[in-house]
Amino acid sequence: MHVRREVIHIHLPRRSTSKCDMVGMVIERDSVGEEGDDVVTPGEFLGEATEFIAGKGAYVSPNGRSVRACLTGRRKVTAAPPGSHDNRSTIEIVGHKAHGAVPQPGSIVIARVTKVMARNASADIMCVDSKAVKEKFSGIIRQQDVRATEIDKVDMYQSFRPGDIVRALVLSLGDARAYYLSTAKNELGVVSAQSISGGTMVPISWTEMQCPLTGQIEQRKVAKVD
Amino acid sequence: MDVDTRNMTPTNLIDKIVVPGDVVLDLTKMENQTIKLGSGLRQDYDCISVMQAGKLRLSKPNKYWVESSQKRYVPSLEDTVLGIVVEHRSDNFLVDIKAPNLAFLPVLAFEGGTRRNIPKFETGTLIYARVVKANGIMNPELSCTDASGKAAEFGQLKNGYMFETSTGLARMLLSSPTCPVLEALGKKISFETAVGFNGRVWVNASSPDDVILVSNAIMRSEFLSGTQQRIMAEKLLQRLEKV
Repeated sequence: MHVRREVIHIHLPRRSTSKCDMVGMVIERDSVGEEGDDVVTPGEFLGEATEFIAGKGAYVSPNGRSVRACLTGRRKVTAAPPGSHDNRSTIEIVGHKAHGAVPQPGSIVIARVTKVMARNASADIMCVDSKAVKEKFSGIIRQQDVRATEIDKVDMYQSFRPGDIVRALVLSLGDARAYYLSTAKNELGVVSAQSISGGTMVPISWTEMQCPLTGQIEQRKVAKVD
Repeated sequence: MDVDTRNMTPTNLIDKIVVPGDVVLDLTKMENQTIKLGSGLRQDYDCISVMQAGKLRLSKPNKYWVESSQKRYVPSLEDTVLGIVVEHRSDNFLVDIKAPNLAFLPVLAFEGGTRRNIPKFETGTLIYARVVKANGIMNPELSCTDASGKAAEFGQLKNGYMFETSTGLARMLLSSPTCPVLEALGKKISFETAVGFNGRVWVNASSPDDVILVSNAIMRSEFLSGTQQRIMAEKLLQRLEKV
C-alpha cells in the first residue's frame, strides 16, 4: 500500500520566528520525530536537500538537490537540535535489520555442527525459531550442556560429528565469539546426520542412528522429534 | 564336488598388491558371516572395495585390512609414536606426530604426574608416547604412561639422532621376530633405538660413528629382503672394523 506523498513547500520569509517551522514541511502522515510505517526502498526520493540532512541510510543525490534512501526500511525524521547552525531535520532509515532473525536467550535454533573438540562443539546457527538468519552466527555447545544426565562422562565424539544438523536452545549471548547453546533436553539434539557411507541416517534411539545403506550404527545425541 | 565353503577364503587377493577400486569381497556370496574391516577397505553396498593402495592382509578368521606405506601418519589407538613438542599450553603440550592434526599430550599424563612436577619440555623436545585417543575429527591425544600408569620407557628421548622414514619401514622394524637388519647390527654394535609407528626412528649409541652406521643401515633396508638386509649390514660392519 503505497501512498504518494505530496511535498508542499510553504515559503515563509526567512526570518520567521514562528515556533512551528513550516519551511519545507512535508505534509503526510509522518510528523517530525516519529517513524513512518511505510517502507522505502533504495533510490526512493525522501525530501529536498535544502530541507533535510541525509542521516543514516540516506544520501544526497549527485545533483545535490534531493535526499534519497540507500537502504530498505522505514523513514524517520528527527528535528534539528536547538541551537545548531543548520535547522534542517535529519532523515534516517531505520528497521532495516528487523527482518533478519537474531538469536535471543531462550530461542530454539537449528545449527550445523562445524567442529567437534574434546570439551565443546562449534556450530553455525542457520535458523532462529523457524526463521532463517541473514548473517551467520556462531554457537558453542559445551560438554556440560550436551545432555542433562552424567554430564562429566559426555564423549563429544559420540554426541556430534561435523556436518550434523542439531536443534538447540540458546542459553546466553556467550562471549564475543559465539552464543552458548544447549541440547540438554529430549527434544534437542541431532535432527539429521549423514553416515560415513554418505546416507542420511535414521534415528533408532536417543543415542544411536543407523545408516540405511550399510546398516552401520553410529552414536549421536539424537533429538526426539514428534 | 563338495567344497567346504566355510574354510575357503572368499577372495584370492590375500597378500597381493591391491589398488583403489578393486573389489575384494562379494557380500552376497557370504551370508551370516561377520567380517571385520581394518584400514583401507570400505563397504560399498554389497561389496567390499579397496580405498588405499597396498597389500591386502587377512588375520584369521575374519579380519581384513590393507597394509600400505606412506610418509604421513594416520593416528590409531594404542600406537607408540615419536613426537616433537611444538608448544606448551596450560593443560597440555602440543606435539607434532606427522598426523593431519597436532596431538595433545596432557601435562599430567606422566608417571606420578601432579600439578607441581610438570615436566619442562621446550619446543623441539623429542618424546616417545602412546596414542590414547584417535578419531578422524578431533586432535589425537597422547600419554607418556602405559595402561597401568607406569612410565615404561615413555617420555623424553635424550641425545641420539632421529630421522624420518615411511610408515611401512617403521612397521617392519617393529615386527616380531626381530627385523633382520637390527639383529645383524646388534651382534656387533651396542645401540638403542626407539621406533614410532608414525615413521620416526631414534638411534642412540656410544660413539657418533656407530649412530651413523646404524641409521644408514636402517634407512637402506626398506626394500630389501631378510637375507639382503643381513648381507648389507655385514658389509657396513666390515667397514667399521677396517678403520
